[in-house]
Amino acid sequence: MGSIARQRQIFIFTALFIPVILLVCFVVFPGVDLFRISATNWDGLAADYDYIGLDNYVRMFNDENLWQSLKNNMVYFFVHLLMIPVELAFAVVLNSRLRGAKFYKTMVFMPYIINGVAISYAFSYFFSPINGAFDAILETLGLESLQRHWLSDPSIVNFVLAFVSVWRFSGYHVILFLAALQSMPQDILEAAQIDGAGTLQLFRYIQIPSIMLMVDFVLFDNIRGALQVFDIPFVITNGGPGYASSTFTLYTINAAFKFSNFGLAATMAVAIMFLIVFIYIIQNFLIHRVVLKEGRK
Amino acid sequence: MKKLLSVLMVLLSLCTFVFASGSSESADDPMSGTITFAIWDNNLNAFIEENDMVGKFQEVYPNAEIEVEKIKDDTEYWNSMRIRTSGGQLPDVMFNKPFTLARFQNYLLDLSDTEAAANNILAEGYAVDGKILGIPMTAGYEYVFYWKDMFEEAGVEVPETWPEFVEACQTLQEYYGAQNPDFIALGIGLKDEWPDYPFMEFMPALINGEGDTWNVMAAQDAPFAEGTDIRTAYERIYELFTSGVLGKDPLGLGNDQITNLFAAKQVAIFPSGDWSLQNIINAGADISELGTFYLPVRMSGDESYKVIVQGDSLMGVTTHSDKPELAKAFVEWFYSDAWYPDYLAYVSSSSAMANFPKEKDPVLAESDQRDDIEIVTYGGAGDDFTAIQNAVSFDYKKLGAQMLTEGFDLEAVLDDLNTRWAAARSELGIE
Repeated sequence: MGSIARQRQIFIFTALFIPVILLVCFVVFPGVDLFRISATNWDGLAADYDYIGLDNYVRMFNDENLWQSLKNNMVYFFVHLLMIPVELAFAVVLNSRLRGAKFYKTMVFMPYIINGVAISYAFSYFFSPINGAFDAILETLGLESLQRHWLSDPSIVNFVLAFVSVWRFSGYHVILFLAALQSMPQDILEAAQIDGAGTLQLFRYIQIPSIMLMVDFVLFDNIRGALQVFDIPFVITNGGPGYASSTFTLYTINAAFKFSNFGLAATMAVAIMFLIVFIYIIQNFLIHRVVLKEGRK
Repeated sequence: MKKLLSVLMVLLSLCTFVFASGSSESADDPMSGTITFAIWDNNLNAFIEENDMVGKFQEVYPNAEIEVEKIKDDTEYWNSMRIRTSGGQLPDVMFNKPFTLARFQNYLLDLSDTEAAANNILAEGYAVDGKILGIPMTAGYEYVFYWKDMFEEAGVEVPETWPEFVEACQTLQEYYGAQNPDFIALGIGLKDEWPDYPFMEFMPALINGEGDTWNVMAAQDAPFAEGTDIRTAYERIYELFTSGVLGKDPLGLGNDQITNLFAAKQVAIFPSGDWSLQNIINAGADISELGTFYLPVRMSGDESYKVIVQGDSLMGVTTHSDKPELAKAFVEWFYSDAWYPDYLAYVSSSSAMANFPKEKDPVLAESDQRDDIEIVTYGGAGDDFTAIQNAVSFDYKKLGAQMLTEGFDLEAVLDDLNTRWAAARSELGIE
């Protein structure tokens, strides 16, 4: 073996050694251990515990409040999913020669960098039934009839919380799309324009396929984010009224810390891991094969 | 160059020797070294910083160092302590609440032989198997705060029985609610769920006069059956909560919002702990018309007026401490003349120490102006109760808020709890 090749191998080995060790210690091992804990009745404190087989999995599937929580997660998922085309459109507009584009970009991204707990706390006052700013806005516009119990009506509370989530995270998606659009080679666009492509055709046949990798990432991030949403319902409604706005993560944390059932909580963590992968595969199939009608590569 | 290096090596060896011998000396001295003290209370944290607690402790123990760890709030505190327990990393000194003591009992040292425990009026009541594992920092009383001028205008007298209390709430709601649709007679921040604890947690104990209610429940197969104290309490609470006295959207407001609305007199009655007085003042209220009474739970004036008191913030030394002597010395010092009286003067809570009595704030002292009071010391939850509670996911604070949700059926919920309670007892082998 030549010395350059050996040096190359040494460099690759040393560069990867520490990250791989860290990954194994802090991601792979805890991930595998999660499966083991999910088969126990560990309370999070005691030194000893029993292996109870699949009891936690049976209990999880029979827990109607957990299913309710998962249903609530789906509200976040679909609301964010519907917003993705809008975010993409925003990114395209901001990518064009718009006056004050920099200002808009800053404004769009701002909610994402503000502390999530602070945002949630502010919104709980914004939607307050007494002296709440949102009700006051409706009143000023003469729309009192639209006033609702925003945070305590089980039929709308998840949509209100999903709105807060959209307000916070949409800017992040817009910036990701924008970065992808800006990294596109301009000559492809120019060539298409010379060939007579209109704005919509450019968007559908040039821009979208060029940034598909980023679209995929945002779609995956949406599934992960929607299924793991925690701070917004935790601060604004504490999962209530009852379990009407509880989410899978909120329920998992309560199982572990409120009811000292780390075994069950680990089971839920395993379930959410598989659920994220499962929904991603289905979504990928629907978008690539059914909507975009892409063939097998 | 070589000479310089040799000189440096010799110096380095000397330094190492000096430091090593110094550290071994301090390692031998049980009263030197660093201990960690984990807290969640903002008021205590502010007082520690303003009054140089570490410096004052070092006047007595010059070789000691204290690292104060401030954790965001008590919920986060318990989460953090639980994780640290499994990692063998509990702080040297930690706090407990009566309801968490059972959880951490195997990780706390017996403080029965300390002077602080001997002088504490509540510590013995929280002993586990005769061992005092936590010394209450304050005695916590529960009050009902109210505005005297609002009562007077609506023609409402301070209630002395439960039916009078319910009637007072209804009269206030009708009187002020007629002019102001946002008015709330009885303010409870049910969006946060926990603020219903004066009712959902304490009322069963107040009805039967036994602070140990939860532990008694652990020995029963059907504690929620017809006629039991807990069912009686929850039926009364359900009737009150659903009578419209909590305002137009009781599940839409949290404790902070209710405190602010009470300070602005949009809420007439606010049941909470003594610690809320500080929050009401901080919200900018003029307290000249502020009054308090104890929550009347008795059905008639012939019964005694039961009042709950609980030891709050039970200070303990953990088994993970490698400086247990120093940690115990810190607990002794904390409850001594050198520190405790000043802290007590700073907070609105009552003293838990017989050797440092404290006069109550005049607003709170109003509640004591009667001679038929019977004190009930709240016992918190023991091992068995906690195990069953976890197994059936019995969350009494959430249950209080759920009472206001559509389609809630109290009878069905309590019957279901009974069934699951009995099953959990049998599964856990609790006699």
